[in-house]
Amino acid sequence: MFLNFFKKSIFLGFAAMVLFMMIGCSATTRDLSPDEAIHYDEGYDFSDKKAIVSDLVESLLNKPPLVSRLDDRPVLIIYGVANRTSEHIETDGITDDIRQEILQSGKARFVNKVQRDNIQSESDYQYGGNVSAETRLQRARQVGAEYMLSGTLRSIKKKQPKQFRLTKRTLQYYSLTLELTDLQTGLIEWTDSTEIVRESSQPFIGW
Amino acid sequence: MIESSPVVHKFKSACLLVCLLSVVISGCASGKLDQARKNFYSGQIDQASGALSSAEDVSSRDQLLYFMEKGVILHHAGDYQGSIDLLLNATALMKDQEVISAGQQTASLVTSEWLTDYKGEYAERLLVHTYLMMDFLMLGDTEGALVEAKQALEVYDTYPEACSGDYFTRALIAHCYEAENEINGAYIEYKKLAELMLDPLPVARQLCNLGNRLGFNDEVEHFRQFLPEPALKEKGKRGAGELIIFVSQGKSPLKIPHNIVLPPSIRFSFSTYEDRSGYLTPPTVGPLAGAGSSDMITTDVGEILKASLKERLAQIIIKETARVVAKEAIAHNINDDNLALLVRIFLFLIEVPDTRCWETLPATLSIIRVPLSPGSNQVHLNVMGRNVVLPPIDITPGNGPFYHYYSIRDGNGLYPLPGNSQSGN
Repeated sequence: MFLNFFKKSIFLGFAAMVLFMMIGCSATTRDLSPDEAIHYDEGYDFSDKKAIVSDLVESLLNKPPLVSRLDDRPVLIIYGVANRTSEHIETDGITDDIRQEILQSGKARFVNKVQRDNIQSESDYQYGGNVSAETRLQRARQVGAEYMLSGTLRSIKKKQPKQFRLTKRTLQYYSLTLELTDLQTGLIEWTDSTEIVRESSQPFIGW
Repeated sequence: MIESSPVVHKFKSACLLVCLLSVVISGCASGKLDQARKNFYSGQIDQASGALSSAEDVSSRDQLLYFMEKGVILHHAGDYQGSIDLLLNATALMKDQEVISAGQQTASLVTSEWLTDYKGEYAERLLVHTYLMMDFLMLGDTEGALVEAKQALEVYDTYPEACSGDYFTRALIAHCYEAENEINGAYIEYKKLAELMLDPLPVARQLCNLGNRLGFNDEVEHFRQFLPEPALKEKGKRGAGELIIFVSQGKSPLKIPHNIVLPPSIRFSFSTYEDRSGYLTPPTVGPLAGAGSSDMITTDVGEILKASLKERLAQIIIKETARVVAKEAIAHNINDDNLALLVRIFLFLIEVPDTRCWETLPATLSIIRVPLSPGSNQVHLNVMGRNVVLPPIDITPGNGPFYHYYSIRDGNGLYPLPGNSQSGN
């Protein structure tokens, strides 16, 4: 009696385990919309980047000095966003998106600071004797930037104090502050910030 | 009660065999780690790195050790980016390990701690960020170093008792703030360090400099009293540049197994740290040509590792007691006396203390800050009785202060150093 039950139990247990492994191990993929907000944990992700860039570009384009410059397109230079969070975040992605959105709005232009060395190298090449005088670029015609765009990404993390519980909660705060500085006067002509606050919970015990 | 029948016997024997094999396998899997450590300490850095060519060389339970050991090996091989990649994997793994695995805990309750993933002692978790800070600074990435500094501060907050003795890491955190021109953050960290250390002299100079910039006149006056007379006269002379040397000396302590046996078959097993290095002469810097004196802050790695183990003591005792009770319950529930005896012997033998630890850590970590004056600076260093001459560092007046970094281990074999980095302030 016990033996039969024991054998059946082993067989059923084994079958359940195989079924569980087959379901658990099957790989799946699906396409997602980049506009969809998805967060696996409290940390910074692509959805946050889109949200903060969108907020700040809207503010920059609709407030002075850019909103009052309807007839000309002022030239800007980006001096990067300093990462002051406790995560390794590639802030170049933020500045690339900001530049793209502003350029697409048609309200400002940008000096390509990142490619300066390459521009110089190409200029030197064109004047090295291989390029015809008619087609080579003219030197000393680059445009100087009028404004400098810079910013700081900050974060504050707070964990729930130690106590008897089954899940651990974490509160994460991010703020991105951008500022536009007039390079001639050194005055900050525009600044704004956007914030994200998120709470996540993680179980203490898993399999 | 479990019925004794041939099938049940076979099933039990199979279970025991699986347990025995898993314990044996867990012991063998660390072979490559041991080989890498051996090569590392005999100065064969390339062979040490080669012994751990991929994560699959090491048991899945020892993945954290793989990342930590190879991270240190690559740091001293001068492959700072490689070290960063591995140690970032270690931090990601430590975050994943915050969720307690019910399966592993249950299995370890009737076998041994070797069946669980190695999670690192509290001080080891802090030192992962310490090495990451050094790696980022060696590459001149002060922003990356500051990110790690902030993560290290979280570890200090989580395990204050175990980590408070790590002055080196705290000094490195303060320097990361300083290098990124976050002088308020730097001042706060130096001040915490001054409160923790018995003698605030090694940080008094930084506190006076930063306090002056922040306008904390009262506090500047307070910390000036700790500075020796020559240092007070240096006011205004410093600031052309600074050489920052990370000196690792000796070998960190190892975990040694201990057992308490109570008849007939109860065995409590535990481990304690035992020193491998005797007294180590602190590193010294040779006479400096007019730029002033150097400052040094040292962490006794063994002390913080021991403090970490001590902080986990209550947790270890509870787990060990639960294991003894579980094993006794298993043995009591077997009717067959012969089988019960075999099971008791087996459970007794597999009660092996967990002696896993990060073995490539040094016995002491020192940060030496050497002021540099305009012109060519030749710095001599004495580490473990060996005279190390660093390549001349040229400082151009008016170019602003620059930090130059070196990382040295024991002053032997690894010189000339692969890495000399600099960053602007």
